[in-house]
This record gives sequence, structure tokens and C-alpha cells, in this order.
Amino acid sequence: MNARTTLRLTVGALALCCAAGAQASDYLVTTDWLEENLGAEDLRIVEVSVNPGVFERGHIPGAVNFAWHADLVDPVKRDIASREDFEALLQQSGIDDDTTVVLYGDTNNWFAAWGAWVFDVYGVDVKLLDGGRKLWEAEGRPLSTQPLQPAAGTIALAEPDEALRARLPDVLAAAEGDGTVLVDIRSNDEFTGKILAPDGVKELAVRAGHVPGAVNVPWGQAVAEDGTFKPAEELKALYAAAGVDGSQPIITYCRIGERSSHTWFALTKILGYEVANYDGSWTEYGNSVGVPIENPSGTVWTGQ
Amino acid sequence: MPRPIPAVAALAVIALILAALPERDALGRPLPLSMLLGGAFGLALQRGRFCFWCLTRDWFEAGDPRGLVALLVALGVGLLGTFAVIGAWVPDPSGERLPPDAHVGPVSWALALGAFAFGLGMAVSGSCISAHLYRLGEGSGGSIVALAGALGGFALGFMSWNALYLAAIQPAPVIWLPAHLGYGGALALQLGLLAAAAAWLLRRGWPQAEPAATPWRAVFGRRWPAAVTGLAIGLIATVAYLRVGPLGVTAELGSIARTGAQAFGILPTELRGLDGFAGCATVVKETVLSRNGVFVIGLVLASLAAALASGDWTPSLPGARDVPRLLLGGVLLGWGAMVSLGCTVGVILSGIMAGAGSGWVFAAFCLAGAWIGWQARRRLA
Repeated sequence: MNARTTLRLTVGALALCCAAGAQASDYLVTTDWLEENLGAEDLRIVEVSVNPGVFERGHIPGAVNFAWHADLVDPVKRDIASREDFEALLQQSGIDDDTTVVLYGDTNNWFAAWGAWVFDVYGVDVKLLDGGRKLWEAEGRPLSTQPLQPAAGTIALAEPDEALRARLPDVLAAAEGDGTVLVDIRSNDEFTGKILAPDGVKELAVRAGHVPGAVNVPWGQAVAEDGTFKPAEELKALYAAAGVDGSQPIITYCRIGERSSHTWFALTKILGYEVANYDGSWTEYGNSVGVPIENPSGTVWTGQ
Repeated sequence: MPRPIPAVAALAVIALILAALPERDALGRPLPLSMLLGGAFGLALQRGRFCFWCLTRDWFEAGDPRGLVALLVALGVGLLGTFAVIGAWVPDPSGERLPPDAHVGPVSWALALGAFAFGLGMAVSGSCISAHLYRLGEGSGGSIVALAGALGGFALGFMSWNALYLAAIQPAPVIWLPAHLGYGGALALQLGLLAAAAAWLLRRGWPQAEPAATPWRAVFGRRWPAAVTGLAIGLIATVAYLRVGPLGVTAELGSIARTGAQAFGILPTELRGLDGFAGCATVVKETVLSRNGVFVIGLVLASLAAALASGDWTPSLPGARDVPRLLLGGVLLGWGAMVSLGCTVGVILSGIMAGAGSGWVFAAFCLAGAWIGWQARRRLA
């Protein structure tokens, strides 16, 4: 292939990509794109909202509903949904191997991003609706209450890709300086140990602070005011300022692993870095016996 | 005496509040619609004199079945409407999932006890909570006393919650009839029960029909016919469930009581499992305007407008010797509604319409409490 052909191909590919709509990346779709493509045959939209009754009272037309606490996790042991259960769910939702899946949800796509991570662990590429449900509603786009009962799909899932998932020993190795960068996306007050957990939260760790060596970039810094992800260049600069430039593998964590999926998505899908999400997060690490902790504010858990 | 100008003024206040309300609450539910539905509910309650205690007492005392038939019609219409909505939302009822937000609660002896106390409270205070609210719109000062008692009752309910939760509520089964009988079976069983109850109530016939009236008099002069009130309430309940949430009037009261009691430090630091239940469970107040709050405001103001238009506005203060009775009745209402996760509206109406076993259990024990209370009051009088 000569240089001219290569150039032509590149230009052609660029033109194609731009003609396909104003997509921010291969893994994000805009509300415009989604509305234009509603009803497309190879498209399946999945809502993952945390508040009950939100989907039923009006969802993006043609969407199916996944309940994060029942469909995306194992409801008994602490784990993501099993391969068998998740495969059955996807088939029941009419998803084939070549279906384009777009996820969205309430609360800034946190649980939709968790969903995207679970899909990715099982080898299925999905896209997120940039801005999520909040932006779709704010723009006054149509909602439907009509339920969808799709014909069964044929998707087959791969074995889980453990590389996308950090476990306690991986995090301990990172704390001991194996070269992995830890990104703690909780609020600064949690990170510095001033508080054990945000107000009203029942699942606690009995220690305050963070994993030694972690940097703190609260998840919200990655989004613009309307809830969409900031442009890739801004994201790159944001994380680079905290010393996260993609030159080393990254582990993201938060309290229970769901908001960190949002940052996992930004770092891995938008910036292309190598990132694993630690779903045990602080509620596992901060409760583990004997692990090193940095607690700059010195808050002591008194059992009260 | 009808007072059209103040009635229009009350409507104007409703319109002003509607215009000033934020479009949505934190969960994205439309606040102005919630207030309008509260208004429609208040209108139907006031014009239909749909007070659970009055309906029951008319039957106990005079054998007049009209009020209870209105209740049965409301339940039947709301049941059909709500099932039409739920059938779309939960296509397969046999799974483990309950319809979202539906008032399907655990069936335990705590529910029975709460319902009994609530029924007793209705008889003692002379109304249930929703009726005390619409009576505020008629100028009833006694209702203020009873509702104050109910706030205290809620606080007592919170204080007893943890013990009841661990002893009875946590292990209790949550019975959703469609999960066991399918939609068709659950509908047939419940409509059959309602029809049987109506047939029994009407076995001695219907009171003499009133002569025809002008439209104005039919709407604002007379009490609405039972079927009209029942139809209106069934429809309001269906629309409310579809767009906002099941009907209920105690979530806001409970929320105020919980926030207040917490401020005084008399509550346990944690109310176990409470925030996980659907029903009129109550959260600590975080926002001034909640969907249940604006629903209740709409209810009271629309009742006021209807009472002014119809001449039912009769401001009154309770006599000094009535105050202890009203307070005690209110406490029973508040305690019962708290431990049962709702009242006659939230558990009987919204529960039965959604196919909840808890709705039927509440109805039975509430009726028993009301009957005992009625007997006691007759003997003491």
C-alpha cells in the first residue's frame, strides 16, 4: 500500500466517522445520534437507573430495563452477575453478537457505567449515551411507557476478562509500589479521611482514608455542567495533572465500585488507557485486616 | 351558604402555587401534576364526603350502604386501572419482582395491630387522616388537633419501629396476589370479593333516590352519588400511579414527624429497613417541596375551594372536653399509619388496587378497630 492510498483511506475513514453522526468517541453516542437512530434494527438501548419506577414512567423509546442490584450483580454473594445469568438476561433482551448496545441511566450514568464495565468484562462492547437520562430529559426528547418484549437474541458471552477487574491483592501490590497508578474518585473529604462515608450511607468501612499512593480525582471533575463527559483533551489534562498519563496501568476505585466505573469509562474508553476497576473498593479495602492505609486527617472509627 | 368569591380566591392560590412549583422533584416526578392530582382527590373527598369513618359509621348506625359502596366502586375502578398499568410494566408477574413503588407491604401481626389502632383512632377522633385533611378545608379546628396528635403518633411509631421490625415485619411475607394467581386470577378474585361485599351491603336495597337537581346543585350542592365519587377516586388513583406514584397522604406527615423527632433526639439513630419499603414510608426531610407534600397541599386547598363553593365552609373550634379525645384519636391514627406503612388511602386504596395482600389485611383489621371504637363510644356516651 503506498502513501497516497493510505492517506485516501485515512481521509475516507475520517469522513465516514463524521458522517455517522456527532459521536464523541467510539464508545459514546450523543442524544442527537440516539434520537435519529431510534428504531434501528441492530440497536438495543438499555436503561440502568438506580431509582425505582423511573424507567416505567417513561424511558427512551425501545429501551429495556436492567435493575443494577438484581441484574448486574449477584444478589447473594458480593460479585458481578454470573456469566450464565448475564447471558440469559442479554438474550432475553434480544441482543445478538452484532447488536449495538447503548446504555444510559439516571444519576449521571453511574450505574449505566457500571453496566458498561460488566458488559466489557464479558467481552461485549457497548456505548454510553453521553449525558445520560438527565440530558435526554433536559432537552425535552421523547419518552415512552411502552414496554418492549423483544424476540430472544443469540449472544454468547466470553469468560470474564479478569484484566478489567482489580482484586484486593492487585490493589495491595499497587499500594506497595508495583507501578500501577491508583485513582480514588471519591470526594476529597472521604479521600483525606475527614469522613468515613457520605451522609446517609449505610455500607461503611471501619477505617477512614485511602489506599497508600492513590491520587484523588473526584468523578464529577470528568463531566461538564450538562452531565456529558468533558472533551478528550480536557480529560487528558485533568488526569495528567494528577500524574495519570496512561504510561502505567491504572486501577480506579470508590466506595462500592459504581462511581469509579464512570471514571473507568473515561480513562479506558475515551482516553484509551489500560484500566481495571476495583469493585470491592473502599468498603472492601477499608474493612480488610492488616492492609496499609493513608489517613491524613487521622479520623478514628469509634464504633459509634 | 355558598361563597363563590372566596372559592375563586382559593382556586387562584392553587394556580399561583402551581405556577411557582419546580417542574420536577429529585426523582424526576412532576410536582405540579402531583399537586393537581391532590386537588382532584380533595375535591372528590369533599364533594363525596368520602371519609372512611363516616362511610363506616353510616353503615353501622343507619345501615346506609352508600358510602361503603362508593369505596367498593373506587377500589374496583382503581384495581382495573392500576392492573392495566402494572400489566405493562411487569409483563411477567410470576418472577420475584414487585411492580415499582406499588404499596405491597409485608403481612405481619404488626400490620394487623397498626390497622386495628388506626381503625380505633378513626372512631375516637371522628375521621381518618385523609378526611381530617379535607376537613381542614371545611374549617374544622378539631382536625388540627387530631392531626397534631397524629404527628405525635408518628413519632411514637418511629420509636417502636425497630422492635416491631425485627420481631414481625422483617421475616413477614410480602404477598402480591398476581405473583401467585397471575393477573387474571388476582383480578377475578379481588373483583369477586368487592362484588360480594357490594351485594351483601345492598341486600336490603338502596336508599330512596333523590329528585333530579340542576347541574350546579348536583356538583356543588349535594353530596356526589356513591358511584360518581368512586369512579373519580379510582381514576385519580390510576393516573397518579402512572405518572407520579400511588395515592397516599401520610408520607409527608410522617416525614415532618420524623424530621422533628430527630431534631429532638428522641429517635433511634437508625430505623431498620424502613427506607427500603415501598409504601408511605417516610424519609428525613431534605427538600421543602416533596411530591407528597404538594399533593396534600393541593388536597386541602381544593377541598377549601369546594367547601366555599358549596356552603360547607363552617369554621369551628373544638370544645375543651373534645381536645383530649381528638388528640388520643390522632395519636392512634399516627401510630397505626406509621407501623402499617400507610393509612386507609395508602394501604387500603393503593394496596388493594395494586393486588397487595397487605391492603386486604389492613382493611379487615381497620374495620374491626372502627367497630370496637364505635361500640366503646356508644357505651361511654
